[in-house]
Amino acid sequence: MSVNRAPIIQKHWCDDLSIKRASLVIAPAFTRYLRSVPSLEHADPIWTAPQDRVCVHIQRNEIIYMGLVSTEVPPLEVIELLEGVSQAITEYIGQVSELTIKENFTTIYQLLSEMVDSGKAVTTDTSVLRGLVPVPSLVNRVFENVSGIGIVPERRPDVNTSSTPWRAQGIRHTNNEFFVDVVERIDAIVGTNGAIVSYDVSGDIECKSWLSGMPDMLLSLSNPQAMDDVAFHPCVRLNKWDSEKKIAFIPPDGPFKLASFHASTENLEKALPLYVHATTSVKEMDNTIEFNVEAGQCNGRPVENVSLRVPLPAQAYNIRVQCKVGAHTVSNTRSPQVEWTIKTLKLTDRTVRLVIQYYVRPGGPAGAGTGRSSPASSSPLPMVKSSGVSAAFIGFEVPGFSASSVKVDSLKVLRESYKIYKGVRYVTKSGTFQLRF
Amino acid sequence: MNAAIQTNIARLQIMKAKVLAALRKGENYELKTELNSEYRERRKEAVRRVIANMTVGKDVSGLFTDVLKNMHTDDLEIKKLIYLYLINYAKTQPDLVILAINTFVKDAEDSNPLIRALAIRTMGCLHVQEVLDYLCDPLSKCLKDANPYVRKTAVMCVAKVFDLSAKIAEDNGFVDAVRAALSDSNTMVVSNAVSALVEMNDMAPQHNVWKLESQSVSKLLTAVNECVEWGQIAILEALADYTPKDEKEAENVCERVLPRLQHANGSVVLTTVRLLLKYESFVRRADLLTRFSKKMVPPLVTLLSSESEIQYVALRNINIILQRHPRLLSKEIRVFFCRYNDPIYVKYEKLDILVRICSERNTETLLNELKEYAKEVDVDFVHRAIMAISRLAIRYESAAKKSMAALTELVETKVDHVVQDVVVAVAEILRHYPGKFEDVVPTLCEYMDYVSEPRAKASLIWALGEYSEQVKNINNVLTSFVESFMEEEDATVHLAIINSAVKYFVKQPQKGQALVLKALKTATEKCANPDVRDRAYIYWRLMSADPNAARAVVLAQKPPMEPESADLSPALLNELVSDLGCVSSVLQIPERLFIYKNTEKAGIPLKSGGMMGQVQPGDSDDGVSGSPAAGDGGMVGGMDTTNGGEPELLISF
Repeated sequence: MSVNRAPIIQKHWCDDLSIKRASLVIAPAFTRYLRSVPSLEHADPIWTAPQDRVCVHIQRNEIIYMGLVSTEVPPLEVIELLEGVSQAITEYIGQVSELTIKENFTTIYQLLSEMVDSGKAVTTDTSVLRGLVPVPSLVNRVFENVSGIGIVPERRPDVNTSSTPWRAQGIRHTNNEFFVDVVERIDAIVGTNGAIVSYDVSGDIECKSWLSGMPDMLLSLSNPQAMDDVAFHPCVRLNKWDSEKKIAFIPPDGPFKLASFHASTENLEKALPLYVHATTSVKEMDNTIEFNVEAGQCNGRPVENVSLRVPLPAQAYNIRVQCKVGAHTVSNTRSPQVEWTIKTLKLTDRTVRLVIQYYVRPGGPAGAGTGRSSPASSSPLPMVKSSGVSAAFIGFEVPGFSASSVKVDSLKVLRESYKIYKGVRYVTKSGTFQLRF
Repeated sequence: MNAAIQTNIARLQIMKAKVLAALRKGENYELKTELNSEYRERRKEAVRRVIANMTVGKDVSGLFTDVLKNMHTDDLEIKKLIYLYLINYAKTQPDLVILAINTFVKDAEDSNPLIRALAIRTMGCLHVQEVLDYLCDPLSKCLKDANPYVRKTAVMCVAKVFDLSAKIAEDNGFVDAVRAALSDSNTMVVSNAVSALVEMNDMAPQHNVWKLESQSVSKLLTAVNECVEWGQIAILEALADYTPKDEKEAENVCERVLPRLQHANGSVVLTTVRLLLKYESFVRRADLLTRFSKKMVPPLVTLLSSESEIQYVALRNINIILQRHPRLLSKEIRVFFCRYNDPIYVKYEKLDILVRICSERNTETLLNELKEYAKEVDVDFVHRAIMAISRLAIRYESAAKKSMAALTELVETKVDHVVQDVVVAVAEILRHYPGKFEDVVPTLCEYMDYVSEPRAKASLIWALGEYSEQVKNINNVLTSFVESFMEEEDATVHLAIINSAVKYFVKQPQKGQALVLKALKTATEKCANPDVRDRAYIYWRLMSADPNAARAVVLAQKPPMEPESADLSPALLNELVSDLGCVSSVLQIPERLFIYKNTEKAGIPLKSGGMMGQVQPGDSDDGVSGSPAAGDGGMVGGMDTTNGGEPELLISF
């Protein structure tokens, strides 16, 4: 479905008339349901449709993927499957939009029929799918159309049924390279008094592998006990992890996510890369919010791409922003918000300051136009003290810093004798970093 | 004049339709020549266009034979597309499909395993009785194929055959072959065999096709650790539905599936949790049980940092798990704190869980948190947050005082909807702790002017009557309420005014006499609501008959209030735990209430023609959907719902 809640494409795996008939009723009903809620984020992901069906939907990049369930199945399975479908389609056709879906629907059809067989998910692994369905390439298409002769596919689509379904036989690369990215995210809520209300570090170990043959890799981490809950790619041999805390695996070719983990926060120093302090004041109709931002200690690394997003109440108008450092934008699409960005911020830098001032229209969200309600005209309604603004969102990126102190110790390649080029990068980003005031 | 324009428009529309029809005809004609072209690439492009036309709803069935001619090809893409074409038209033109059978049978013996699998899968998908006879031979060959990809597709195909005719599937030994496939060397085949068997079992009227035996369990346990995630889910589900024969087996199964908790797929994790909870009753060793529940915590917490849709499902399930294991996540209370930008459905669930897992130790942390929520913009969320404060106060006596302080702080914001909710919440707490916190009532009175909603007003007036000693100018206050009696519209407010007036009078007969008389008089003479009138009469007669009895009745000791429980009934809880992770646990209603097993699925053939016209508007539960148009006759006939401004389905496979 497209973002305006109109269906684009649908596929049935169970050839059952009653289901087909039901879908004719449900698709419009679901559309109506989505239109009845104020915004998409008010729509429950699980919705009971007419005719005893249940609709499960997710929204990714302007496209809504909806699965229809007629028997008792785990909805998470459906959500994960839809997620997989969305990822596969994105990988195959790039930018997913109503237009590209229509252009590539033969490919999408082939994909969907490989991914699901009679209502059961088969595979969502794109490296497996690539073996089954050729990726459409523009060059191929153009050449075919111009010359009228197709290029005979170099590699016939084949299925890989070996014990390592994620890696095909006989992969060759001229340069053997392997890159590891440790990407960590800090989710935090900082309370009104500056204390950390909740603090959470999660991370992914993302790899890019361009290696020939069947390499067997062994990755050891310097601080594995810092990882609390780890989920691995299916290629990882779990018993090695359980016994030695080392990650042994035969990598798939290309980019993949080796592991995602959740850092144990118990013995972790709750250090934030940024310290932000906000003060608010109200003078009649004039509201002022002042932010003071200071870089924190992250092994001496500068904090990059700092951003501060402040959603303002819908009744705010005449918004004025002052800042000496960085750039700011005031947007007013759905409700006004101020965004402030700074390229880099070092520990040694002085505290930087942002001041936002705005008026609030009296009379609540249904307030009339700007012209009529000047602050001077005293409203008969009780003065609303809470300005409706209570949170700001902070974004940042610290390259070369690992908040959970997880470090790659060594990376060995067994079974293959060639020399490989290895690279490791660390970056800590902001997840949802919220400041209350 | 107008009529002339209208005829012109009508004429134009007819012309347009004619031109379009001619174009379409022309296109089909053109496609026909293209499909018969001597150049391979032109034929390929033509097939693509045929499918494109078919999926946007144009009728291309006339090209059936021409499309079929192209079936003999090595090009996999073309083959797939033609198979799609066949699936689409098989239902309406089964006799034509027979023409394609030869190719299918030939393809099922192709040297390329992909083509073999594709042929078998498509023959199953055709879902036509006529094909069945031709399917049996190739299917039994494919079930023994050397290539696992073909075998696993064949296994799924057996379920489709079973759906059409259980007898053919049994007689040809297909079902036995699937049972045997449980010990296949390839894990993909094993997991597909499990799903096929479960599916066939559901289809069979007596559900007697298959039952997991304990000798197969160990095979499944080996397979579960090696196969792809979707296979793992199928196997885990089958294991969760299995009843272990003894304690030892249960322990073994739990041990072996524990690593599944480390899977990145949330569904695998949740199904594993379900299995562990189910098997818990069979394991008696306490150390194992604590180890299992300890292992469950981190993955559940991790689920909460995924996409919001997954979070929602996880939260709904955690809610159920917590009713079974209330202490499981009490240390992790912080992960349930709501973020400002969480979708609203996630926030509601988090709030509910927060109150549930809060223990006496961390009430203060939670209260601070709830106070923050009460400052947010969303009115409904604020309402729930404030109600959560009162729930907390009622649950833990030690927290009551701080809750009161928090509520008083909130009422000072003077935000309209906050004041309403706070008044209701304070009244709840006062009711639960009679004789305590009475000093809050004067504070409430200061904000009396902001109280506008009936439920808040009723609560305030109740508090005034109950704690009339606390308020200095109580007489004036109550009099003003009595005087504005007829301006109120809500019966709950009326009843509250009468009650409080009577209470005040009973406590202070001299001062309250005029007041109570006026209240009762207005209520009995002017009020239209019979309940209000009757209540007023009862009080009046009671007081005039025996003032002491009235006193005893009005100021009687009220029974203590039970904490309002959001728990599910134990029977329902058991049912939901065994369906953990499934739709029913998210909706929190048992499966039987939202899905009625279709009788036609259980073997009775579907009377397709007759059913179409018989769909009654009442069959579908329109009340839930909130879709007014779904029931108003547009649905009779079953098809006609896409018009009337609804978007048209653009592409349908």
